[in-house]
Amino acid sequence: MTFLDVRRLDVEHAAADVALAMDEDAFRAFYDRTAGALWGYLSRISGDRQVADDLLQEAYYRLLKSTTAFESESHRRNYLYRIATNLVNDSRRGARPLFESGIDVTDIPAPEAHATVERRADVRRAMGLLKPRERAMLWLAYAQGSSHSEIAEVLGLKTGSIKLLLFRARRKLAGLLQREVAR
Amino acid sequence: MSLRSRPGPELTDAQIEAIVADAIATEASSARAEAAPPSSAIVWWRAQMRARQEAARAVERPLTIVHGLAIACAAGLALSLIGTAVAGVRGSTGWLLGVYQSLRAALAPLSAVDFTSGWMMVPMTAVLVSLVVASLAAVFILVDE
Repeated sequence: MTFLDVRRLDVEHAAADVALAMDEDAFRAFYDRTAGALWGYLSRISGDRQVADDLLQEAYYRLLKSTTAFESESHRRNYLYRIATNLVNDSRRGARPLFESGIDVTDIPAPEAHATVERRADVRRAMGLLKPRERAMLWLAYAQGSSHSEIAEVLGLKTGSIKLLLFRARRKLAGLLQREVAR
Repeated sequence: MSLRSRPGPELTDAQIEAIVADAIATEASSARAEAAPPSSAIVWWRAQMRARQEAARAVERPLTIVHGLAIACAAGLALSLIGTAVAGVRGSTGWLLGVYQSLRAALAPLSAVDFTSGWMMVPMTAVLVSLVVASLAAVFILVDE
């Protein structure tokens, strides 16, 4: 056996002995429970569906490679959202303008289509004018139903500051929505 | 609660909360309709492949460093030997002449030896065969690598 054979065996052994944080069944069940909601979070925080597609898999990969010992399902989910938030922040540098994608009207009944599309466009434009952290905070609170402590964990903020920050973000979004409607 | 029906400037906290909740709910339902994440099987398989590639790269990296160090040491040794040799030649050409004369004197008895005789052919052939076998072995090792 040559030195190169030994090296080849080392590489093959290392490749076969990959340690991920979850087994396949547990991962797939967790993914099926969380992927749709995480995609929604990523697409609305980044404002870009393509970015959401790319970052979704990266977020799950980083979760699988993490060595953190999770105490519960919600701890794992919050950690995943924190990874996703950081990925969006990293990808934002040099990104395209936010919230310029069109709205798909195919799932909206015809009589409601015009008003609904207009309303969605208002909401999307208003959200695009928020700071990324404000968008993330409001999304976690109202779309995900996250508690203040969960929002703090995901965004890396103090739990005590969330109430005030949410209050301000709500007022800002309401003001922006009024402005959009008045246009 | 629709903002279009009541766009008044003075809104209470409860009204603001309701407007924001309604707006985000609208976007959330839109996002749910759009979401088409890849299947869990595909994501798991890609994660496995990527983790294996990274593990293999991590094993190969230290060996590459050792190879680099070995090549650097060999190159340094070769350069120092060349430098010493050049300095020696420049320092005294008489020394080189002395070596030549010594070698000539040492090899003088060999001129009396008959290399074509039978008893000299055996060791000469052995040396020749050894050189050929060593060369072939070196070629096979290099091809294997």
